[in-house]
Amino acid sequence: MTGTTDEEGPLWNLPGDLMMWVLIVSELAVFGAGLAAFLAVRLTDPAGFAEAQGHLHRTGAGINTMVLVTSGWLAALALRAVQQGHIARMRGLLAAASLLGCVFLVLKAGEFADLSAAGISFETHVFFTFHMLLTGFHAAHVLAGIVLLALVAALATPRAVEAGAAFWHMVDLVWVILFPVVYLI
Amino acid sequence: MTVTSAWLLLVALSAGSTLAAVSGMTGPALALIVLALAWAKAQLILNRYLGLAQAPAIARGFALALALYMAVLATLAAAAG
Repeated sequence: MTGTTDEEGPLWNLPGDLMMWVLIVSELAVFGAGLAAFLAVRLTDPAGFAEAQGHLHRTGAGINTMVLVTSGWLAALALRAVQQGHIARMRGLLAAASLLGCVFLVLKAGEFADLSAAGISFETHVFFTFHMLLTGFHAAHVLAGIVLLALVAALATPRAVEAGAAFWHMVDLVWVILFPVVYLI
Repeated sequence: MTVTSAWLLLVALSAGSTLAAVSGMTGPALALIVLALAWAKAQLILNRYLGLAQAPAIARGFALALALYMAVLATLAAAAG
C-alpha cells in the first residue's frame, strides 16, 4: 500500500483556507444564478429593461469598478506586507482598502437615493427588482468586508489577513461580472 | 506578473468596458465585448489577487467554468437583441 502525503492531493496548492474557497464558489454561484435569471427575464421585455437601465448611474458604477479593483490591489499588497512582518504597513494598506470600500458604498447609496427621489422603487419594474436585490446584496458584502478587514488588521496574522483579503477579492470578483450585466449590456 | 501589474491591467480593462459602452455600440456586439473583458478581469482577480496562479489545474478549471458561464450570459444577452 502506498501512503499519500498532503502534497499529493488535488487541493494541496490551493492558496488560503479551503473553507474560504467554498464560500467564494458559493457566493459566485448565488450571484451567477441571479445574473443569469436577470438576463433570462430581460428576454420578456428588452425595451423595458433598456429604458430602466437608463436611470442608473453608469458612470458612477464605472468609477466604482476602478475603486474596487484598486481596493483589491491594496488588500493583496497588505497580505504581502504581513507575510514580510510589516504589521504597520499591512494595517495602513487595509485601512486604505476599507476607505475605498466606503467610497464604493457612498456612490452606491447616491444611486439608490436618486432612484428613490425619481419615484423608482423595488416594484417599479422587474429590472429594478433585480438591480436592487443584486447590487444591494453585493453592497451588504462590501459592508461585511470592511468589518472583516478591520478585524483581520487587528489580528495581524498572515492567515487572518489572507482570509480577509480573499473575502475582499471575492466581493471584487462578483462586481466585475455584475457591473457589465446590469449596467452596460 | 505582479499584483501591481495585474491592478494596472484591471484598470485598463475596466476603462475598456466603459469606453465600449459609451462608444454607441449596442446589442450582441457590445455584450460579447464587455463579457469577454469581464472574463479577463475575473481571471486576473482569481489568478493574481487570489493567488490561483500557484494552482494551475484549479485555475484552468475556474477559467473553463467561468468561460462557459460567460457564454451562457452572452447567449441570453444576444437573444434579447
